[in-house]
Amino acid sequence: MFSNINAIAVRINRQFLRDRRFLGLSLIVPVLLMLLLKYVLDSLPGLARLGVHISDYAILVAAYLVHFLAYVLSTIVLVRDRKDGTLGRMFVYGYRRREIVLGYVGGYSTIAAVQTALVLILTKYLFDINLAPDLIAVVLTMLALAVVSVGLGVFISNFARNEGQVFPFIPLVIVPTALLSGIAIPIDELPRVLQWCSYLIPLRYAVSVLDGVLNQHRSFFSELGPFLTLVAVGAGLLATASLTLRERE
Amino acid sequence: MSASDPAGAAAGAPAVAIEQLRKSYGPITALDGASISVDTGEIFGLVGPNGAGKTTLIKAICGILKPDSGSVSVLGLDAARERHAVRRRLGYMPQTPALYEDLSPRENLVFFGRGFRTSGLSDRIRDVLEFVELWERRDDPLHNFSGGMKQRASLACALLRDPELLILDEPTAGVDPTLKQNFWRRFRELKERGRTIFVTTNMMDEALHCDRVAVIRAGSVLITETPEAIRARGRTRVTLGLRDGSLREQEVLAYEEEMPRLLAAYGLSDEVARISVRRPSLEDVVLGMIAGDAGAGEKPAHGGAHGGAHGGRTTGAHPGAGADAEDGGNV
Repeated sequence: MFSNINAIAVRINRQFLRDRRFLGLSLIVPVLLMLLLKYVLDSLPGLARLGVHISDYAILVAAYLVHFLAYVLSTIVLVRDRKDGTLGRMFVYGYRRREIVLGYVGGYSTIAAVQTALVLILTKYLFDINLAPDLIAVVLTMLALAVVSVGLGVFISNFARNEGQVFPFIPLVIVPTALLSGIAIPIDELPRVLQWCSYLIPLRYAVSVLDGVLNQHRSFFSELGPFLTLVAVGAGLLATASLTLRERE
Repeated sequence: MSASDPAGAAAGAPAVAIEQLRKSYGPITALDGASISVDTGEIFGLVGPNGAGKTTLIKAICGILKPDSGSVSVLGLDAARERHAVRRRLGYMPQTPALYEDLSPRENLVFFGRGFRTSGLSDRIRDVLEFVELWERRDDPLHNFSGGMKQRASLACALLRDPELLILDEPTAGVDPTLKQNFWRRFRELKERGRTIFVTTNMMDEALHCDRVAVIRAGSVLITETPEAIRARGRTRVTLGLRDGSLREQEVLAYEEEMPRLLAAYGLSDEVARISVRRPSLEDVVLGMIAGDAGAGEKPAHGGAHGGAHGGRTTGAHPGAGADAEDGGNV
């Protein structure tokens, strides 16, 4: 099983390295978005007067970016594999569903990890955030979020037959995530129904950990609850993706 | 290629047995009670127009289709319940190359070969890439390849595990005539080594390469017979042009036996019992030109188990022989 998971992850990473344009865009897009964020927030001096600390939001927006990019990327590529027949060929050539799901997670998590590292470095220097004391907590949370995002992408890919059908699913996940994860609006200020709904948003748990350790200066240990929930959501999504990945039409 | 005796299905059991298979996608019926039996060691052709259900049937054999009803047995195993065991013993070439274009043929074969932990994978890769004449291009990414080269790479992938049963979904679609001939020569070599080959096509001339052919239309199998037997069901229109400018037209069932009787009325000796006419097909002539052989059209384009069936346009050389040009178009 591990040999096959590794074979898939290696194959995906090899494809990334061969597709220079795709690789370049995957790395340049988060950089450009972080620069844009910096520019927009700096041009709003009124935020400081309102007592809003821009740096408090930077890492949360960075987490959102990692989530968004990993989710969209894994959904589209898996749908393409299904459409091109390579997914069907994988099944016929001995790969099992759980191996495929975990292999894709392994492969895409590598590029998601690179994107995460890039975003964290930019966050540190653009927003002057000292990540060093909480680096382990931040990195673990971001990586867990990346795995959750890929698991979500694999699961969503079951519902699309081609790349075009993926697009309606992008706002379906991304807009509620932006509104209900606690990035834009504190969850406590949402109506009770939406507060319940926010438990379904994986990013909520990552935001809770990152906000706790970086902005509220709490220890990672005290944020273990949401962190473990994030990990459990990831495990649940991967299990669901493994069970629902269509092997037979 | 390494040759290992196929541990096929039980003696006498068909390599593939499909009974009353039905499959619908919403309101569209893809398979409507299709039944097929493929003998071990034969080249079996499934012929039909686009959308007739050929690919759906192939997916059922490979265990990547969930039929609504009916049964599929492959090499004595249930293709649904024992699909993993079935897949270990077959090679599958989909209609599209279904390989990763960013990767080279070798990288693709390494990846797909690892699924079942193919033993001696490096040697096998060399064998199959040499077999499809891609060894020299083994490290070039597939996106630099022509359509025919991608098909060859896909065939190499299907042959990688030296399977007992080879499932080929329109393997020659979009390939040039020379390559098409090469493919069929290779399929016959595999058959001679005891492999069973199930191939779909919508090209009638290709059906003549098969030992038996099933004709499928709208998800139902209309007939399963040898190509010769199917061919014998057709009538031949004979037109005699007389010196006075008039024409005599008649349809005959058995052309070669009927022709002497027809011509006897115009003085043909009763010593003549059969008449056979052999003309090269357009494909033979074109291939001869490509090969620089002016006379290529006058002789079989290549030899092999089917003799005249692969050669020129033959009419009545012997029962059932002959890949007539008029049979060569799409269904």
